[in-house]
Amino acid sequence: MQSLACDPGSGAGLFTRFLCGTLNPMTAQPRPILVALGSEARALRLIQAAFHLARERAAPWIAVHVDTGPGAAAEDAEQVQVWMQEAQQLGAVVQVVQAPTLAQGLSEITRSSQAQALVLGRSRDRWPWARLGHSTADELQRRGLDAELVVLDDRPDGPGPDARGIPFSAMLGTLVVLVACTGLAWLVPREGNLSLVLPVYLLGVAFIAHRWGSGLGILASVMGTLLYNFLLETPRFQQATSHWPNLLFFLLMLLAAQLVIGLIHRMRRQAKEVQRRERHTVSLYLLGRDLARCRTPREVATTAAVHIRRGFRAKAWLLFPSQDQWQILPDPGTAPDCLPPPAELLPRLTMVERLGDPLEPLPVGEATCLSLTGTDRSEGVLLVLPEGLDGLPPWTWELLQVFAVQIALSLERLRWLEEARRAQVESETERLRNTLLGAIGHDLRTPLAAIHGAAGSLLLPGEVDAATRHDLLTMIQEESDRLAHLLGNLLDLTRLESGALQVQKEWQPLEEVVGSALGRMEQRQGALPVRVDLPEALPLVPLDAVLIEQVLINLLTNAQRHAPGLDLDLRAWQEPGWVHLEVADRGPGIPVDFEERIFDKFFRLPEAREGGVGLGLAICRAILQAHGGSIHVESRAGGGSSFRLALPLDGTPPELPEGAR
Amino acid sequence: MNQPLILIIEDEEALRRFLIPTLSGRNYQVLSAATGTEGLAMARSHNPDLILLDLGLPDLDGMAVLKELRLWSHKPVVILSARNQERDKVRALDQGADDYLAKPFGAGELLARIRVALRHTLPTEVAEPLLRSGGLSIDLDRREVSRDGRLVKLTVLEYRLLEALVRRHGKVATHRQLLAEVWGPGGEGNTHYLRIYMAMLRKKLEADPTRPRHFITEPNVGYRLNLDAPGD
Repeated sequence: MQSLACDPGSGAGLFTRFLCGTLNPMTAQPRPILVALGSEARALRLIQAAFHLARERAAPWIAVHVDTGPGAAAEDAEQVQVWMQEAQQLGAVVQVVQAPTLAQGLSEITRSSQAQALVLGRSRDRWPWARLGHSTADELQRRGLDAELVVLDDRPDGPGPDARGIPFSAMLGTLVVLVACTGLAWLVPREGNLSLVLPVYLLGVAFIAHRWGSGLGILASVMGTLLYNFLLETPRFQQATSHWPNLLFFLLMLLAAQLVIGLIHRMRRQAKEVQRRERHTVSLYLLGRDLARCRTPREVATTAAVHIRRGFRAKAWLLFPSQDQWQILPDPGTAPDCLPPPAELLPRLTMVERLGDPLEPLPVGEATCLSLTGTDRSEGVLLVLPEGLDGLPPWTWELLQVFAVQIALSLERLRWLEEARRAQVESETERLRNTLLGAIGHDLRTPLAAIHGAAGSLLLPGEVDAATRHDLLTMIQEESDRLAHLLGNLLDLTRLESGALQVQKEWQPLEEVVGSALGRMEQRQGALPVRVDLPEALPLVPLDAVLIEQVLINLLTNAQRHAPGLDLDLRAWQEPGWVHLEVADRGPGIPVDFEERIFDKFFRLPEAREGGVGLGLAICRAILQAHGGSIHVESRAGGGSSFRLALPLDGTPPELPEGAR
Repeated sequence: MNQPLILIIEDEEALRRFLIPTLSGRNYQVLSAATGTEGLAMARSHNPDLILLDLGLPDLDGMAVLKELRLWSHKPVVILSARNQERDKVRALDQGADDYLAKPFGAGELLARIRVALRHTLPTEVAEPLLRSGGLSIDLDRREVSRDGRLVKLTVLEYRLLEALVRRHGKVATHRQLLAEVWGPGGEGNTHYLRIYMAMLRKKLEADPTRPRHFITEPNVGYRLNLDAPGD
């Protein structure tokens, strides 16, 4: 057997790789990498190890859980679920195998999936000989798998044996060890060889205490003394405690056993503490990672509730004060209903924070409240309601506090993001306002100056000949039209953007709005060279006639301005769910770079002749967006540009009268 | 002799300065009021032949003035309203206003609307059985409609709709009014019926239905039958 140890440098533990069988790295399709997951906290490290190995070898990877049948606690199953989801998020395929033993299940799946490597963990909490002989890794090796075994050694894990009463096997084991010790001691020559007998019994008691717990250890030390006294001390089969070496033997044995038991105890406690901390770290890591993805307070609340349920078996809500009420997220359905109002609860929380034990949360009925305090202010309150009857055990308080801090920080992050966004919108509004002022400065003043001037010269004393008089009056009319148009556009856009203008959609034939738009244009400026092509079979379209008429007028006016006198085409066609309308001209066209930007407010093509302020198309886009549709411009084959509107046919079309269409 | 008396209820000084000389120069007598209360008082004391009513008045809502007026007067009322106030226009028209003018409007448009509104109050017009305009002729007595000299067959509903439009030709008819007259009470919700029948009328009676000369759409308000169209 070849065994090599290497440190991956990640501090994740010691990797030991056993190579069994032959490796075949030259296969075309890389064989998958398996990782065996249980419910232990170190599973996260196994997942990471497998993930990195798979990435290193560009191989797919499979997370396997071997279900060894009933007997697994429900919470373990839940934890396994969590790890499997973790693995899945990192790209693993997830598989659960039913088998009587872990080793059997793993060897089966390794064979069937033709895995190149199997990553599994092993606890160090065993005696060296147990590790060599009975670990799953050894078992797998014996089965001769054609796969590399990557064993991730770890700190002790799993509950201590004394945690769950004293099983029968432990008592039997204790008895066997004691009998073995007595047998060994029997072999030692009798007289005065206490110095040899004592270590034998000490070793036995220490083993028992370590293996099956301190209770049996004490029992074994007492029983060992009695056995020695009854069986080994002369005269045999009677107690002779009056003999002082025997008494000393008894005392020494008890003391030594206690010392060993005490040491083992401390070691166990430390191991448990380490394990607990590791669990905390992992749960905090998972919480932090999920919180970082949240984009709304509701998502934060949902994430917090999920993680607190997982870590504390408790329901959790976030409370936000809004006036005299609490706004409860994510789902206030089962929240305790006897919550004190914010004005009462918040000062109490502040008191607890300032004066009380920082680790003790504030009880509210059966629930517990924690202040969610970010760096500068309270972001809300975390309400935790334990699902069991015992309430929250004190050892969870510390972790809960850290959870609360994490949640508070992520709420704070969201608030800052929102503030930053608002500030950006404000500065954007400010910029727009400046542009607007600039545009108004020029575009309002010019016609005003013309009107003022024309009126002034008409009022001058003296004769003005009829032709001049007519010219001046015509100019006054035209310029005031321009002013009215500009003001109308500004108002429309303001109303559309502020949401003050509500779209009144009604199902109607497209030709009606086309007709009224053309009619209005022609009434203003005479016949237009527009070819209209509306198919007979077009359905009714839900639209706001006033607004769509405005769009058509804006597009036709633009076309007239940039391609005066040239032919225009107005076409419509249907697609499933949509009706398209096209206004196409033979003008100079729109450079590709500007096809998006021409719909921006106050944007004018650099070479545009005088005319609009750059609001018409912005209004068109706002109107189409308000309809749930869109507008874009394309270059037209043969020159010119084509503005295309898409109007959604959403909702149920009304019933048609009989005989119509 | 017999110059019609027009009452202007308008709070804007500038508009009154434009309206008063424009109308008095066209053979109308003109009275003006700057507030709703004043306007109502003048309407009672002078009984004008037509009222131009601004919807946005400082003291009373133009709508309230209209309601008050309609309690005792059936003289035509033409609403002056800003653009984008379709809802208010429709409400005013359904409340009994005869027509509307959207600001800014030109003198020509103003005089045309006033002429139409006054014409409908003259008894001689009601009896006119034969209407002709730009290739379209409607004979109400014989229930015959023809375009360019050719007889056009209309369905019963189409004819009823045409009749309803003819009754108020030149003036705007709201969707609601037309639906009530053609489909009877309870039909007011089916605006799309009206639109479809209008489309069919246009197809039969307009030279180019996408450029209607007679059946004019007033978007989101209603329709106007224009019988003063020039020949095709």
